Amino acid sequence: MTTERSANDEPVGARSPAQRALGHSALGLLGLFCVFPIYWLYATSLRAPGDVYQLSVLPWPLSTGNYADALGKIDLAGMLLNTAIVAVLSALGQLLIALLAAYAFAAWSFPFQRLLHLMFVGTWLVPFQATMLPNYVLLARLGLLETLAGVIIPTLCSALGVLLLREHLKNFPKELLDAARMDGRSSWSSLWTVVVPSLRPVLAALGILLVITAWNEYFWPAMVLQRSNAVVQLGLRSFLGTEGNEWGPLMATAGLTCLPVFALYLVLQRHIVNAFVRSGLK
Amino acid sequence: MTGTFVEVPSPSAAGTEAAPAARRSAWSRVRRIAPPYLYLAPAVALLVLWTYQPLAQTAYLSVHSWNLVPTSPMREVGFANYVRLLTTPELGESVLRTFVVIAGMLPFTVLIPTVVGLLTRHVRGRAAAVYRGLVFAPMLVAPVAGAAVWQWLLDPTAGVVNRLLGTELNWINTTGTAQLVIIVITGWHLVGFAALVVSAGLTGINPDYAAAAQVDGASRGQITRWVTLPLLSPTLAFLVLMTVLLSAQWTFPLIDTLTQGGPVGSTTNVYYLLWEYGFRSHDAGLAAAAGIVFFLGFIVLAALLASLADRLSHHDD
Repeated sequence: MTTERSANDEPVGARSPAQRALGHSALGLLGLFCVFPIYWLYATSLRAPGDVYQLSVLPWPLSTGNYADALGKIDLAGMLLNTAIVAVLSALGQLLIALLAAYAFAAWSFPFQRLLHLMFVGTWLVPFQATMLPNYVLLARLGLLETLAGVIIPTLCSALGVLLLREHLKNFPKELLDAARMDGRSSWSSLWTVVVPSLRPVLAALGILLVITAWNEYFWPAMVLQRSNAVVQLGLRSFLGTEGNEWGPLMATAGLTCLPVFALYLVLQRHIVNAFVRSGLK
Repeated sequence: MTGTFVEVPSPSAAGTEAAPAARRSAWSRVRRIAPPYLYLAPAVALLVLWTYQPLAQTAYLSVHSWNLVPTSPMREVGFANYVRLLTTPELGESVLRTFVVIAGMLPFTVLIPTVVGLLTRHVRGRAAAVYRGLVFAPMLVAPVAGAAVWQWLLDPTAGVVNRLLGTELNWINTTGTAQLVIIVITGWHLVGFAALVVSAGLTGINPDYAAAAQVDGASRGQITRWVTLPLLSPTLAFLVLMTVLLSAQWTFPLIDTLTQGGPVGSTTNVYYLLWEYGFRSHDAGLAAAAGIVFFLGFIVLAALLASLADRLSHHDD
């Protein structure tokens, strides 16, 4: 904002305006590279169907023709609803199951604790593709292929969620749990009345992260729903495959696919960035 | 009777209870010991059902011949699948391509984020928030939507890239550029996230070290080289490990939607090969053998990297 900064603000060496400009231009370039494709996606989708090939930076005149076109071609509304169901149920399930597991790790010490913890860490080393065949066969046996339940159920244990929540709970003051026990509360009621309220920001952040991941998931739904295109990612793919792409409707579909995630992000920006960065540092 | 919540005493102490109340004490022992396992049960059960049991199943399948049709018999073939896998020329090429992808990703996940992080340590306030929002945005874009918009940007005749460069290259369907395209799009997805991780790492470094070095007469460049970067190395090691373990996985949706492994196999990495074995050729044995080989390869790579990171890292203790 201002060029004057206090000595506290600049602990090591004063930065000249030139250096500050260098910092801004590095970030500016990176930001441009990151955001231009997204801008172009929406710019193209909002051009009039005849203007799609225009190079003007601002789409004008604005038109919703491409959106109408896309909505007429595929059942986008149904797909969005299906995807939302999958994302929300999957995230809620993962959150609950991870919370219980992380609570066990944090509140007790018990035999095989390390081994069980390693089981969660070890999933990092199992490439998804190494287990996909048996999983596919198991789903087929359970009769869950081509169903939304088949997409949701195998995702319900999030090792990342368990490890992240465990990390947060490790710093949870044990005295509070002890106090709850003195009050005669069971571990189950302590979980909901003592632990969960204090974890609320973390749970919210993780929940949003899980919703976004589930919303954007491609591989697993593509395996389970081979005959139908019940979720938006697959609907988008069916659009992509056609010869002679219709760029306008395609961009409109892609734009609508991303819109809920962007909206979530804009509303809850700070939480999400924290969640991503912290989970990244795990 | 709520059980020993928080700390479980050692089992031997519990075992020395008086004999007359043996049955009751056994029951109370169970009540005392059971809770953590009960809380863990759903997660562990799912983990076993959907990760570890399938992994064992994959190992089993890898020594059998099966075409994925439930009614057709599974024949035991010993290590024939592994022999077949290791003698196919495609495998070596796809492994090499996987390494190319990983090497191509490192500038996006380590180099650029570090440079940007160092240059922008002192950008603060609203500007920083705006930049953070911008670089983070691609992470939110679904891979398929990313594939769609990049296909449009790279379109041979009408795409922005060709029209700005004045070329008519078919980027996605040319052997020489297809792999580059996959790398750049994956890099675009991840660079903002990596930049955030690096800046979080930089924020976590205690400024006292740099201040002390400055008092000792070190220049800014020297401080960066000998103080900041070593302290940042755990973060960088984490990013390298993540890139190695996940690059091939991140590229999968892009390959599947944009190139299907082509042209002429030029973007087929190990994951895509595995997918083709299993779901295109319906060769379950071969796909399983490949899965097991990659799993073992991962363990070796991860162990190597972890020990390397341990040796190179300077922890801020």
